[in-house]
Amino acid sequence: MNQLESVVWPRSARTIISRPLAARLASLEGKRIAFLWDYLFRGDEIWDLLKAELASRFPGISFVDWDQFGSTHGEDEHRVLAELPGKLKALQVDAVVSGMGC
Amino acid sequence: MLRVSAVAEQAGIPSSSLCCEGFLGQARTTAEGLGYSSLPLAKVPGHVDVQRPDELRAGVLGTTVNDLIRNLTEPVMAIAQSPDPGARDIVFTGSFDDINRFYIENGWSDGLPIVPPTMERVQAFLDFVDRDPDEVLGTLLPDNRQATIWNVAVNGVIAGCRPEYMPVLVALVEAMADSHYGVEHSGNTPGAETQIIINGPVARTLGFNTEQGALRDGFQPNTSIGRFWRLYLRNVAGFMPHQNDKGTFGGTWNVVLAENEVALSRIGWSSVAQDLGQPAGSNAVTISRFTGRNVIVSVFGDSPDKVLPYLADAIVTHTTWEVIFVVGMANGTYQPLLVLSPLIAEMLARAGLSKADLRQQLFERARMPARRFENLMTHWTNLVPGGKRGLFELTRLGKAPKLFGESRDPERLVPVVCKPEDIIIAVCGDPLRSNCMFMPHNGMLGFTTVKPIRLPEGWEQRVGSL
Repeated sequence: MNQLESVVWPRSARTIISRPLAARLASLEGKRIAFLWDYLFRGDEIWDLLKAELASRFPGISFVDWDQFGSTHGEDEHRVLAELPGKLKALQVDAVVSGMGC
Repeated sequence: MLRVSAVAEQAGIPSSSLCCEGFLGQARTTAEGLGYSSLPLAKVPGHVDVQRPDELRAGVLGTTVNDLIRNLTEPVMAIAQSPDPGARDIVFTGSFDDINRFYIENGWSDGLPIVPPTMERVQAFLDFVDRDPDEVLGTLLPDNRQATIWNVAVNGVIAGCRPEYMPVLVALVEAMADSHYGVEHSGNTPGAETQIIINGPVARTLGFNTEQGALRDGFQPNTSIGRFWRLYLRNVAGFMPHQNDKGTFGGTWNVVLAENEVALSRIGWSSVAQDLGQPAGSNAVTISRFTGRNVIVSVFGDSPDKVLPYLADAIVTHTTWEVIFVVGMANGTYQPLLVLSPLIAEMLARAGLSKADLRQQLFERARMPARRFENLMTHWTNLVPGGKRGLFELTRLGKAPKLFGESRDPERLVPVVCKPEDIIIAVCGDPLRSNCMFMPHNGMLGFTTVKPIRLPEGWEQRVGSL
């Protein structure tokens, strides 16, 4: 039990290097915000609350609702993610809100 | 949720992810694995499942909306990552006790003593596969680390496996890395655990227990390979409790189930691997995640008509919220496991039932009232929201098979799987006792996946030389 041994580690290097985030917006005024949802944990109720509050604070803000994309969790997940970049561009989305991590 | 945000950021669109308070830590470590360690999160205070509407509103308007605005409009501080060691780097030298303490301190151990992974011990494992140690078997989420032959061997050593188990370990990791399985869901809150099933002559060669106590620890291959699975999930995929593993309760690993192929051969039934497309008599591993298990004790009767009502009742009784994987969240992904003791399987076979007949009979008999199905799917769990649609409505919209929406009668009986083949049937356990076991399934969050076990040239000689 007192013999010394040298050991390796049980993991491996990450395959992804840290990437920079997209540039943030100067303001949400006049911007188009999309909500993508996993159809869980009251995201629809929360989105309604957020939309009303954001609309009251930022003139000209507009929204793309979750039903434009489909569920981001479940059988449609892979398709929704694959289609997302093209869809965000087509819908002229300026920022994305994604939920729910619960 | 975070994968959506990562895709948006990559497309040059700023994101904010909504996250309940208790899940912020998991989100941060998951984000790191996605390559966006500073992916911004908007906190939802508490947990939404138990909040009144006014409480939810107060939390969202008092906290979440402000986080969200900040996340989308203010610069986010980058978080630096510490560099990783190389695969063959010696990370520590010390005594057995010191090495174990070091492993625990770094989160690389499950809390039980590990076998120190020296270069010599790792090489002994590598000698049981004809594969390049650096061969990449896949990349595992959430940590986005590579699964390699090398780190399979290292984790096999620390789990207490024997070197000759290596071909089985490699097949398991190939299954884990298959996107069909969905390893990225392994940290979800139900805390379901993978059940490994092994088939083929290799089980006998390696000394797996297939009979009494088939799921009890105490048999080295069954136990240590089960332990290997969870250590690999922890160390390579990155599922650490209090970080990416958010099982509310969780559970320890499952001992490997080795089917009793002597009994199967006697009654002419196929194995689990064969049912899933592997050639008869071949070596294979099957993995699937189950949310629990219960013993069906003292199955009494000398004919299918006497026995099947009890087995079908067990399937219905122990299938609860998992119905969302039948219809609702991920249609047709519910594949529960029914384990028969050889005694019961033999009685059913003697009465003329093939495995396919048995599945068909269970499919027809295992039915629950639509009202109960809908309560589990929507009213009691809110897991399939969208206006609380019932099975009839979902069928009408083409979102459920016709069998589920034949009428609006809430008392009508509906199946608990989409098709007979979705009931997986295995045979093992005490050959002289009439107990069976049922395991409800975690659906798409650990979908049934089978892989062949590839043995190296001269396998028998290599094992025999030990």
